[in-house]
Amino acid sequence: MRGTLVYIGQRLVLIAVTTILVSSIVFLLLHQIPGNAFLNETRQTPEALAAQLHHYGLDLPLPQQYSNWVNGVVHGNLGESLVNHGVKITPLLLRETSVSATVGFFALFVTIGLGLLLGVIAALRQNTWVDYFASSAAVVGYSIPSFVIAIFALLVFGHYFYIWTQGTVYYNVGWGDWTQIPVPAIALGLPYASYVARLTRASMLETIRTDYVRTAWAKGLKARIVVLRHALRNALIPVVTILGPLITGIITGSVVIENIFGIPGLGKEFITSILARDYNIVIGVFTFYAALVGLANLTVDVIYPMLDPRIRY
Amino acid sequence: MAQAAPISQPEVELTYEVPEQVTLLNDAWRRLKRNRIALVGAVIIGILLIVALISIIWTPYPVWLQAVGPTYQTPSLKHPLGLDQAGRDILSRIMGGALITVEVGIGSAIILSLIGIPLGLIAGFYRGKVDTIISFFINIWYGIPDLLVALILVFVLSDALHLIPRGVLVIIIAFALTRWMDVARLVRGQTLSLREREFVEAARMGGARDFAMLTRHIFPNALGPIIVQATFAIPAAVLFEAFLSFLGLGLPPPTPSWGAMAADGYHGMDFAPHIVLAPTVALSLTLMAFNWLGDGLRDAFDPRMKR
Repeated sequence: MRGTLVYIGQRLVLIAVTTILVSSIVFLLLHQIPGNAFLNETRQTPEALAAQLHHYGLDLPLPQQYSNWVNGVVHGNLGESLVNHGVKITPLLLRETSVSATVGFFALFVTIGLGLLLGVIAALRQNTWVDYFASSAAVVGYSIPSFVIAIFALLVFGHYFYIWTQGTVYYNVGWGDWTQIPVPAIALGLPYASYVARLTRASMLETIRTDYVRTAWAKGLKARIVVLRHALRNALIPVVTILGPLITGIITGSVVIENIFGIPGLGKEFITSILARDYNIVIGVFTFYAALVGLANLTVDVIYPMLDPRIRY
Repeated sequence: MAQAAPISQPEVELTYEVPEQVTLLNDAWRRLKRNRIALVGAVIIGILLIVALISIIWTPYPVWLQAVGPTYQTPSLKHPLGLDQAGRDILSRIMGGALITVEVGIGSAIILSLIGIPLGLIAGFYRGKVDTIISFFINIWYGIPDLLVALILVFVLSDALHLIPRGVLVIIIAFALTRWMDVARLVRGQTLSLREREFVEAARMGGARDFAMLTRHIFPNALGPIIVQATFAIPAAVLFEAFLSFLGLGLPPPTPSWGAMAADGYHGMDFAPHIVLAPTVALSLTLMAFNWLGDGLRDAFDPRMKR
């Protein structure tokens, strides 16, 4: 137990370092750009511009700006929006993270739940029509990008089924109604669900042929126990290893999904800020993403030994 | 002194059963031919390539020509895929988009391999400090959403720095710069195990230089997995371009990118779904074809990995 805590502590330090390192790259990249967000403002006197630049510390030399920024990040302060004056970025992004995380968790649930279900059923009914159907769905499904699924989901649920959905799939009046969550979450999770299904089927097929599963059957255990407790637990291991890339994929996918469905989360903020040249927010969102991916990977690595006791830190 | 009788040598005709010589590629090709779904993928890719080549010299209408008919016109004999919101012929634009897709996909795979393979070879072969630095980079990169870095890179390289005019090239470079780690990691792993093998030892005893050992002995033996990895990089790059263009951060209009066409059609989707249908179907089919071929190649190069 103590070993686990030490391990988690070490990883947290590493995540913090990685996050700052990666956002530093983004910081330095964006600060290479000539011009700034204020140049488009009309009727601006040179004094006013100088005052603006001074307010944001943009008149300082770059090393100074960078050390100020690192100092801010370490203290949890990501600065102020360049476009919406006076808006503090950290609380804004925390609020948006909660929205993105809600959709993301639901998407992950769809991915893992549906993927495991299809994979296990396909493996247990190998070479029957159930298997062929599930396998071909998976082989087609993981090539259809989530934004394509989102477009058609919007067309079907937002337009053709308007009478049922009453436009709730599309955020236009306010976010927060739970009925708005499933459609974007399914669009986001579906391509990865097919991937999980393929992987589960393959590893399940391998596992159900092992001796210990045969023993379990021979002992006369119930099918449910054999499948869920003996076979699935080992078949899950390869699935857990791809959870890290999967979460990165869901975060990347959420950028486009949030823009299609108008979800006020991190992904929408990211694109809006890039287009508005609000670089402080872009860097801030990136810092959040790097930290989120790091924490997600850490969670996976902590869960991993629980499934497979052979693995130690 | 009598001369020593010559040692009689029995005249034996030595015949060897020469095994059929099979190269790596021949062997893989034989196995790939039996994989029906990979062949379907290859055929779709073939069609894509042909369409892309044709679009260089001929499209039914110029891809940028507006108002060739009423806007939002549904498919007809004259315009098999209909017209978009600016009255442009969608079939022509799909053809033009095929060329961009091919450029982005293949260009990215090539540049990505050119960066990743040498770095992987060096890291795996020399180990030590070089390996530590390269592996550190690879490991850090696995912990971040790399596509979003690539997105920022596209923006910085083109819009802001004017280093490269915004076009296919900047997308390829941004993608390759953030994605070479997959190839490098794979090559590094292969090299680490290959460098201990007897044939490399033999080459070293024969006085081969490091460079010759890497290029003539280690690289060819790692070629199979590299080809597989490069094939999977193609759909990833295509998807990245579509993703950027869909968000309006990719190729500028009126470039007929499939992602941008989907974004255009998406706004009039409730009354003219055909505009969004054509590019999304083309994109999905392309991604599918490359994924199928990639799966087929993986099974063909390494039958043990078959799943």
